[in-house]
Amino acid sequence: MASSDLLLPGQPMALPRGPLPKVSEGLYERNGQIRASVVGTPQRDGPTFKIEKQRPHPPAPNSVVLGSVTRLSPSQAILSITVVDGIPLPHGEEFTGVIRSQDVRATEKDKIKLADCFRGGDVVKGIVISLGDARSYYVTTARNDLGVIFATSESGATMQPVSWQEMRCPKTGKLEKRKCAKPEGL
Amino acid sequence: MQSSFDRRRVNGPEESHAPVYDDEEPESSSMGAQRNGRSAKDVRPIFLKTGLISQANGSAYVETEKTKIACAVYGPRQSKSTTYSERGRLNVEVKFAPFSCKQRRAPLRDAEDRALAVLIHQALAPAVRLELFPKSTVDVFVLIIENDGIEGCVASGSVAASTALADAGIDMLGLVVSCAACVSPKDEIWLDPTTDEAISAKGCITLATVPALNLITNIWQTGQMSLDEMDQCMDLCQEQCLSTHSVVAQTLLDANKSPS
Repeated sequence: MASSDLLLPGQPMALPRGPLPKVSEGLYERNGQIRASVVGTPQRDGPTFKIEKQRPHPPAPNSVVLGSVTRLSPSQAILSITVVDGIPLPHGEEFTGVIRSQDVRATEKDKIKLADCFRGGDVVKGIVISLGDARSYYVTTARNDLGVIFATSESGATMQPVSWQEMRCPKTGKLEKRKCAKPEGL
Repeated sequence: MQSSFDRRRVNGPEESHAPVYDDEEPESSSMGAQRNGRSAKDVRPIFLKTGLISQANGSAYVETEKTKIACAVYGPRQSKSTTYSERGRLNVEVKFAPFSCKQRRAPLRDAEDRALAVLIHQALAPAVRLELFPKSTVDVFVLIIENDGIEGCVASGSVAASTALADAGIDMLGLVVSCAACVSPKDEIWLDPTTDEAISAKGCITLATVPALNLITNIWQTGQMSLDEMDQCMDLCQEQCLSTHSVVAQTLLDANKSPS
């Protein structure tokens, strides 16, 4: 039963009665027929059918991405995007993302110092807002639940967020400034 | 002397040739008259399997008697190009292993690699939905481990690349299947020619199709053929592509059915 539901690329989908349903990812319409474009089983989501992606794929606008900061400059932070929509990318196939200074937070955009928000090596959660330029995607952290989710202090210990812009080192008790993400479940 | 010295390899003799045997000549003349235990419409048995290269996003291995091809797909991954493009890019690279032919092929200097890569790219490009991943590239690497007929390599390479793309989860309009045919010296149409058959043939043709959409993506013809012969060859190739398509479909179903 499950194997007979599997569609291959180009294979038409058995249509339900009524008007032609909407198609989403993994399916396409051609000559009044809906066909699969990836291997998988179509799922229904209200009036829409789709084949869900289980494989690594490039970021798209509104993708939730995780990346580590690789470079900092006064106006932007460069990310190496390693997880897209919860699916890790293979090693060596990361995409490049950019957090511009005006995208770090929603308030006081003019007073941002990027060195007070990110450091090299921090793991950052963000949302892709645009395809950007030829090399990098534009990423924003201007939301309470976005920002640094993992950081290492100068003495090498994993820091804990204590407020929206500070993290504390458990070893030395020193506070460091970061744009913190609001932990889930809070 | 200086220009041919390769600093990145162990350099052997300046020139070398494969040994030539005395009794090689009579065999090739008798080969031109008949096929080796195959009827005109028979293709060589196809072995096709996915998922053998673990580092690749998708991979496929295809074998038709003495033609062995491994294919790996990486991507969609970040393009190295500095120009912005709304559509993704499909790169195909074909490589002959040095031991793949009777005559040794030097690892670098082979003009045929590029010609085959262009043919396979032309076969695949219409079927891949490149508009779904802007700014990214999909890299397809085809390695020919053993070669028994260039036409067979193009056909099998296209099948392997298409299967590997589907295994990698790349969005496609349909599976690309390819088949080759030739016109024998006795004006008989032979499917899936080997090296010897292609050498003795009057002309060869390779057809790539998407059977699900009844779409032809590439036609490659060499030699001398009349229009009628071309028409007949293409019809036979299209029929054979339907059979090969079921082999590809079964392979993909098996790969997705078993728990990996």
